[in-house]
Formats: sequence, C-alpha cells, structure tokens
Amino acid sequence: MQGKAWYKYLLSLPPMAYLLIFFAAPTFIMLFASFRYAGEYGGLAPWYLHEGGRLTLDLTLENWQRLLETDIYLRLFLRSIGYAVATTLLCMVMGYPLALMIARSGRKHRDLLLLLVILPFWSNFLVRIYAWMIIFSPAGALTRMINGALELLGMGSVTLMYSPTAMLVCLVYVHLPFMVLPLYANLEKHDLDLLDAAQDLGAGKWRRFWLITWPLSLPGITAGSILVFIPVLGMFAIPDLLGGTNGIMIGNVIKQQFMESRDWPFGSVLSMVLTVTAVAVVLLGSRLGARREGR
Amino acid sequence: MKSLLGLLLLLLATPVFAGEELHIFNWNDYMSEEVVAGFEKSCNCKVVQDYYSGTEEMMAKLQAGASGYDLVVPTQNAVQALIQQGFLEKLDKGALANIKNQDPGFLNRSYDPGNVYSLPYAYTTTLIGFNEQRLKEQGIEPTGWAVIFDPQILEKIKGKVTVMDDADELLGAALKYLGYSVNDVDEKHLREAQQVIMTAKPYWAAFNSSSYIKELTVGNIWVAHGYSSDMVQARNDAMDAKRDFSVNFILPKEGAVLALDNMVIPKKAKNKKLALQFIDFLMDGKNAAGLSNDVGAGNPNAAALPFINPELKQLAAIFPDQKVLATLETLEATSTKVRRLKNKLWTEIKLK
Amino acid sequence: MRKKNVLLWLSAALVYLFLYLPLVIVVVFSFNDSKLNAEWVGFTWKWYGKLLHNREMLGAAMNSLIIATVSAGVATILGTLAGMAMSQYRLRLLQLLVLAPIAMPEILMGVSLLVLFILVNMTLGLMSIMLAHITFCIGFVALSVQARMSSMDPALVEAARDLGASPWRCFREITLPLLMPGILAGALMAFTLSIDDFVITFFTAGVGSSTLPLQIYSMVKIAVTPEVNAVSTLLMLLTLVVITAASRLSPTIFRGE
Repeated sequence: MQGKAWYKYLLSLPPMAYLLIFFAAPTFIMLFASFRYAGEYGGLAPWYLHEGGRLTLDLTLENWQRLLETDIYLRLFLRSIGYAVATTLLCMVMGYPLALMIARSGRKHRDLLLLLVILPFWSNFLVRIYAWMIIFSPAGALTRMINGALELLGMGSVTLMYSPTAMLVCLVYVHLPFMVLPLYANLEKHDLDLLDAAQDLGAGKWRRFWLITWPLSLPGITAGSILVFIPVLGMFAIPDLLGGTNGIMIGNVIKQQFMESRDWPFGSVLSMVLTVTAVAVVLLGSRLGARREGR
Repeated sequence: MKSLLGLLLLLLATPVFAGEELHIFNWNDYMSEEVVAGFEKSCNCKVVQDYYSGTEEMMAKLQAGASGYDLVVPTQNAVQALIQQGFLEKLDKGALANIKNQDPGFLNRSYDPGNVYSLPYAYTTTLIGFNEQRLKEQGIEPTGWAVIFDPQILEKIKGKVTVMDDADELLGAALKYLGYSVNDVDEKHLREAQQVIMTAKPYWAAFNSSSYIKELTVGNIWVAHGYSSDMVQARNDAMDAKRDFSVNFILPKEGAVLALDNMVIPKKAKNKKLALQFIDFLMDGKNAAGLSNDVGAGNPNAAALPFINPELKQLAAIFPDQKVLATLETLEATSTKVRRLKNKLWTEIKLK
Repeated sequence: MRKKNVLLWLSAALVYLFLYLPLVIVVVFSFNDSKLNAEWVGFTWKWYGKLLHNREMLGAAMNSLIIATVSAGVATILGTLAGMAMSQYRLRLLQLLVLAPIAMPEILMGVSLLVLFILVNMTLGLMSIMLAHITFCIGFVALSVQARMSSMDPALVEAARDLGASPWRCFREITLPLLMPGILAGALMAFTLSIDDFVITFFTAGVGSSTLPLQIYSMVKIAVTPEVNAVSTLLMLLTLVVITAASRLSPTIFRGE
C-alpha cells in the first residue's frame, strides 16, 4: 500500500491544493500587484488596456521606484531590523538563565516551571500589551515611583508611555517564550557528565559554561532567535498602541497602505521586501544550524 | 475530551438571536447607548455596531468589500466620494416622517444637493482639548493652533501632546495655522504645512485618534487635538472621576474644521427597511437630543433643541453661532491625484 | 544533584516576576471601582456585570468559538494528511508549502489573503476568516503528526497487511490510534492558535464577524473602561481550566511527544 502512487496522492494532494490556493497564489498575486497601478478609489486598476480592439499591458515600475526615491524607506527598514535585533538579544539575555535553570532543576519541578513560562503566553497577546499600557501610563504607579526616585536624586522626570523603551519591553515580553522553549529543549539534552568531567579537571564555573554549555546550546539559540526575530519584524500592533510618534515599523506602513491609504500596489512592494527579508533570515539561520550540526 | 466537546456543542446550540439585525458603521464614541436601546425595544431587533476612527480607514474598509452594513455614518467629504463611486442607495423620503424636524440650514449642501443619499446626523468641530490646571502651571494660555505647532510653547509641554492620526485633519490644522484654507491643494502650501508638522513632531507624544478621551481624563496628556464631542466627554469623565484638574477646550482663533456627519445606506445593505426606520427614529426630536446630550455633539435637528442640555447648548465650540461658523470650514472630497500627494506627505511625516 | 547556583536562580526568579507582574495588574484593576486604570479606588464586581450584558462581546466570543472549532477541524484533517505524506515520501513542494506559512510574518498572510478574497469578490466574514485560519493551522498540525509518525514502527502496519488486513482497516485500527496523540496535540494547537489570532483576522474580517481578539483590540485602542480587564481575567481563567483539563486527559500533550 505504501508504495502505491494513488496512496501518495490521496495523502498529499488535498493539503497541497489548499495551500497552493490560499498561500502560494496570494503571494504571487501580491508580487504581480506590486507592478500594477492603484485603482481610482482604491484596490487595483486593470492590468491591461483595451485600445482599438487590442489588449495592451498596463504595468509599471513606479511603485518600486517610490521605494528607492528617498532614503526614508531604507531608514524605516533599518529601524524595524534594529528593533528585531534588540528584541532578540534581550530575549536571549533574559531567556537563557531561565531556560538553564529549568533544564537543571529536578525532574519533578521541570514540567511545572516550564508550564509557568507558557501560561502567560496563552493569554491573548493584546491582553499582554494592554497590561504594559497600564504600567507605562504616566498616572500609573510604576512611572510615578520612578519619577519620585528621580526627583529625589535631583533628575528630571521620564515618560515611559509612547517611547521606544516601552515598545521594546513589550516586544520582549510578548516574544520571550519563543526563545525560552527551544533553548530549554536544547539545554535539557546536554550530557551533564561533561560538566562533571570538566569540574574534575579543575575548570571553574564560568569556564565550564563558556567552554561546554554555551557552544552546545548554539543550535537552540539559533532556533529561538529566528522564532523571535521574524514575528517582531512584521509587528504592527505594538507600535500602533505604544509606539508614539517615532515608533513606526514596516508592519505599520504596510497596514497603512491597505487599511488607510488605499494604495495596494505600494503595500505589495513593501510586503515583498518583508517576505524576502524573512526568507533570507530563515535561510541564514538554517545554514548556520546546518554548519554546526556538521561540525 | 468528550465533556469538553459536549460543552462546545452546548455553546454552539444556544439559540442565536432570532429577530432582525441592523449593522451600523459609525465613528467611535459617537452613539447614545440609550437611544439604541430605545430603538431595539421599539423594533424588536438587534443593533450591531462597528466603529472607525478616521475617514480614510472607513473608506478603505468599505473599499475592501466590507459589505453588509445597513447604515454608515460618514463625514460630508466621504459622502461625496461615496456618491461618486455609486456606493449609496437613494433614501426613500416617503418612509421618513421626521424629516421635517431637520434644520434646513444643514440640508441641501453641495456634497449632496437635495439630500438624495444622505441626511445629517450630528456635527463636530476639530479643536484643542487641554488640562486647565497643568497648562496654567506652565503659564500657557491656549488660544490657537500654536499650542500644538509652536516649538516655543511645546518646549514646556513636551511629551504631553497628542494630535490626530489623520492626514486630512492634521494637515488641515497646519494649513489653518499658516493662514490657508483647509482645502488648499497647492503642493507648495501643503509642503509648508508638512514642514510645520515635522518641526512640532518631536514634541508630541503620539498620533492618536482613538484614546485621547481617556488620556486627557487620566491626566497622561495635557493637550489633545481632536473632535469637540470627544472633548466634552473627556471633560465630563474628569468631573465624574473627581480628578484634581479639569479638562476644557477651545476653538482655535485661526479657525478649524467643521465635520457634518451623515446617515447613509449602502446599496449592498441587507436590511434597508430597518435602516430607514432607524434614521427616522434618530430624527425624532427627543432621540436626536439624546445623542447630543450623551456624546456632546452638535445637532442638526431643530426639534431636538428644546431637549438639549442648556449648558451644552451655550458652548460655542459645540453649537457655534454665526460669527464662529464663519471661521469654520468643512473638508471637501479630494481628487485621486491630491489624495496620492497627501498620502505621500503623510507617510513622510510618519517616517521621518 | 549539583548545588544550586544562586545567581542563576535569582535571575530566573526575576524573569518569572517580569512574566507575571503585568498580568496580576490586569486582574487587580478588573476589580477597581474607577473607569480609569490609574489608582486603586475600591473593590467592585461591576465590570464583570457589565460584561455579561455586553452583547457585542458575547457575540464576538461566539464567533471566535465557531471559527476556532471549524478551522481546527478542517486543519486537523488536512494537516494529518500532510504530516503522514511528509513522513513517508520526499515531497519538496509540500514541505515548502507547509513550513513557509509558519516562518512568514503573519501580516504578510493577512494582507495577501485580503487581496485574494477581494479580487475573487468574496464577501469578508466568518467564511473568509475560517479559510485564512485553516491556512496557518495546517502546518502546525502537520508538524505534530509528522513527529509522531516518524517515531512509529512501520513494521506494525506491514505485519497487519501480511496478516490480510485491508488498507482501510489497517489505517483505522493501527495507524490512526497510534497517531492519535500527535493529531490531538495538533488539533489543540490549531484551536488555540485560531482563537487567539489577531493579525490575520484583522485583515480578513468583515461585517458582523468580529472575534474576541478584534473586540479586545478596539477596546484597548479606544480604552474606555476596565471591562477589558474583566474580559482578560475571564479569558486567563478559562485558559487555565482548559490547560488543566487537557493535561489531565493527555499528560503527554505538553511535551510535544
């Protein structure tokens, strides 16, 4: 049965057809849309002209040129990547000790500790953002506490709401489990005898960490980094709610083209750029992962 | 797993509301819950509301095939655009007995001559709401647009100002500040307005069209550019919450935008009859007044005036007299070319 | 057992605090007798009472439930097929189609499906949301089933075949029961992903098809009352109950086995 062709198609065709229609086709439609004109009232203009009984193509490079016209889109892009890199690094710094602690704790507690990481993750992510909006509110307790302390020290007050700091904290908060879980999965598999052997040979705590644990955990870090980096890159809700006047990311501009400005072609251009970046990151990550595996 | 499944089935099987539904697409914070409840009682139907916080957002939503709304409340310039696109159903005046209540001064405007497609719902001005005490402490006396655009004033209230997240409104305010018309389409003037905005932007906390009512009430924000009806709500909320400050508002001396919001029925509406019924219900004097009293909007209904809270009626920013009206302008529908230009300027503003 | 590293434990404890403090604040303020989430005024149940009468919220919850049930159901069937195919054959295209939606930023799937639905003149609503949710759920189910399948002993099926069982009987009585934990884990994941999704729903929702996350977004954005806190608290409670129930039913689900 397993070798028969009909069985193979029975299994693979339905999901393949579905994904071709609802994933591959829309992606190509977007690519095509990036070369079309915007419709008079939004949407897309026809891609052909009917002139004297002949059909001619009516496509343009205008939308792509607009991307290169000024440096503002490049800067937007770099800023988005900057947020994604910063979030990834912070998640790593915060997630590593946590994952290590869980992996090194007794079997009995491990599941519970892990569940405690996942639990907040199961509440809707808008709720989690909302929680920080309460905290960052200038009338909120935290901000008043910080400002009270700053005043005592004779320094000026700070505003947390609508600042890059607020955005970053929220981005880290929402994506932290994406880093912790793959890291834990990796750390848990480490052979602790290696550490014991190193200790017997006289290696200190930090030396043992840097020479054994860290290199062994690199695949987990790579996986976690991809899982954090990509969703942050396309984020629009957090900048929308917490970003202030300077917190715009590429996701917001894409959303703006489709949901406000009614400029689908330019929105498609930006989406394509984001697609290519995400693909590049994934490829780079899996390349790095593969090289390590091979070592 | 079985019990979970059973629970699911039970939930799915709970009787869904049997009567008719009226789907409304309206500005946020722009409907009186009491009036809606009254209508639901009288028609034995259910009113389902969706909200938007900017004209462009509403147009994009409708453009994106959001068919199924029975009643939309767009501002005059959007009405004009929707008529041009052939999106709207002609109103059956025969079914609207209360049409006689409408103030003729708000009828037969250029965006819909003869009110074939639309009837006025309420009106607001776009103005400046502020925290009286905090501004006084800083020695700022707001009179005009300078309070959101002049860096010298903004220096003292940095990070305490929000402006509308709306290209037409914000560029319009900047144009007014510069002494031009809000409908100026001269690229040079628009660029100047963009420059004004860019200079002031570092001092603003955020572009915000939706939550400034709350931010003002809590005291997070001291100056907000927004709709008059929202400022009335912020003022009342701050009073109710017994804050240690009060919220007030002024119409800028340079003039401002007047938005006349209308009720229209899309061609694709599923329940046109019910929509007409609701329009008629809203044009009843008492119901129209309920809207004003609850949301703090100006009222184009003559029969409503006796029922409107007198304190509200005497506010020039809400019910402008002839002299004030002369300084106000309504936004006009723009051509595709101008819209593209404004979009481009707006994207630059947001990004730089 | 080796001795505990104090520094490690301390920093981990801080991260746990970071994870839970915001949620505690949301819950606490859901009982605050003030419209503003600024300072504590007094205890009240009123936001929960209001919530019970908020039909838009209840309607949205119903929509979310319907969408998640249907999407998870269809995605589980399609994903199981894909997972079985992927573990038995080398299918580059299917592999790519299954993995790519997981790896792409959500907003891309949202806008591209929006464009597709409008170009084919489909009215946005429950149907369009379900089609979109199925698209992003298939991959997760497929991966879960594939993982389970690869740990299965193919000799079992072969033996059954040698003993004369029909392919269908073989599937029903051997493959399916063995795959069940993988399928269930995938289905549960699809259900939660669907009920929790905001971004893709944001772009593919139409009139009267608002879901819970969309409703929460507009409440957070307009920020009127602590009803948001109340609904969040209830959602967290519900999640807790579901997780506890699910882990009782199948203790292996959370270990991705």
